[in-house]
Amino acid sequence: MKKQFAVLSVLIIFVLSIPVYAGVPMTTVEATVNRVLDVLRDSKLKSPAAKEKKKEKLRVIYKDMFDEIEFSKRTLTRNWNKFNPAERVEFVKLFEQVLEKSYIDKILDYSNEKVNFYKESMLSDNQAEIQTKIITSSKEIPIFYRMVLKDGKWKVYDVVVENVSLVQNYRTQFNDILTKNTPEQLLEILRKKVKAQ
Amino acid sequence: MRIRSMKTYLTLIVLFLFLVVGCAHSPSHTSAVLPQSKSSPQPILLASNAGEIPVKSSSKPGDTIDDEYKDDQNLDYANDTFKEEKVEIADPLEPFNRAMHQFNDKLYFWALKPVAQGYKTVVPEPARIDVKNFFSNLGFPSRFLSCLLQADFSGAATEFGRFTINTIWGIGGLLDPSSNKELNLQKQDTDLGQTLGVYGVGQGFYIVWPILGPSSPRDSIDIVGDYFLDPVSYIYPWYAGEGVKGYEKVNATSLRIGDYEALKDAAIDPYVAFRDAYIQYRLKKVKARKARSLIFKVEETSTPAADAALPNK
Repeated sequence: MKKQFAVLSVLIIFVLSIPVYAGVPMTTVEATVNRVLDVLRDSKLKSPAAKEKKKEKLRVIYKDMFDEIEFSKRTLTRNWNKFNPAERVEFVKLFEQVLEKSYIDKILDYSNEKVNFYKESMLSDNQAEIQTKIITSSKEIPIFYRMVLKDGKWKVYDVVVENVSLVQNYRTQFNDILTKNTPEQLLEILRKKVKAQ
Repeated sequence: MRIRSMKTYLTLIVLFLFLVVGCAHSPSHTSAVLPQSKSSPQPILLASNAGEIPVKSSSKPGDTIDDEYKDDQNLDYANDTFKEEKVEIADPLEPFNRAMHQFNDKLYFWALKPVAQGYKTVVPEPARIDVKNFFSNLGFPSRFLSCLLQADFSGAATEFGRFTINTIWGIGGLLDPSSNKELNLQKQDTDLGQTLGVYGVGQGFYIVWPILGPSSPRDSIDIVGDYFLDPVSYIYPWYAGEGVKGYEKVNATSLRIGDYEALKDAAIDPYVAFRDAYIQYRLKKVKARKARSLIFKVEETSTPAADAALPNK
């Protein structure tokens, strides 16, 4: 009888655990990146006038793909608690705008590049890294997406381009600024940056 | 008897379901919730006392999102699997480095970029890729030696094969037939600075060289190394060699115009952003090389055995 229980319990563990994360992060990223590529290659949106429309579509995908609060928290780490709630809301918003404005034109330039999804590593139940490569005519750019499972949805919280983690890169910058300045001053720097872009 | 076994059966299933559900909810999160709910009311109260702030926060739609903006005691990410290693570097020369960073920035925008852009309009991309391959092939001695010194013999063999094949069948290195799918001999992107890193030499501190850009005392060995190992250095007279090196730089830049600008535009403090990017990049490279090295791979696997042998002494 005991043996049967043991066998049954092992079976239950296997059956229940497999479908939970069978490459879900990978398919999530792949689907999202393909959605981006579809927008970029859309022949109806080829004219320069349609640029704003493209941006609007990309924004929707971006919101779906990224966890901007997790992203902000990870860049600020302990400094997050130095901000008051209103400042946090503004920070997340401004940071998102800075990123959007600096990368959207770069993204709009892409069209014929191939994206290769080649590896998914689960590093815990709720974290994964998806390794991809953008293959252009002259080079290959490795891009890794780090994802976290939140409320049943896989969301990106860090992008690692050519071995450089964006979160880490901004963390160093914000740390440097916040050792000499207050959160309000950092927000002012970001406001100016958004305006200038 | 039957009833009793049925009962145990049921209890077991319930227990399993309970366990599985518990797993899916990620226990690490629940531990964060407790201190959160304790500490969150305070800042919010403070905020409402400040006056203008509630207006802003109330314009935010959805209460579920507001929850995420609360204080978080779990910001160390110490238990994180992706915990980024501390990648910081001493920067005692910051004022000098910032000046050099400015100088290189101006050099790029005023000289290198316009020249590369002009060159780009005249020379088609395939030709520029050939030129890049040619110079990359000439960089063989430094990569080969580095692989050997790192005890990465398969890497050294790969480099040797690439050099032979690309020089003979790739028209003196203009083409790169060895990296195609059949041969699959990929370039070993390594140098002497990484070699020192593999042996545990640290970066020391950050330094920005004029023209050459971000470096450190350790990585500066490549400036010396290239002087001896890069065939271009042996061109006579010296200024012809420098001219060739300048051309190589223009050609390489023409293939990635816009990359520097994108990184710079995205940065809040470009100097710090480039410093961090450089350190992160080099650190990961050294790590990857270490994983390939014969010496360090063997050492890693043999340590448990060595530890086990110790008590016997």
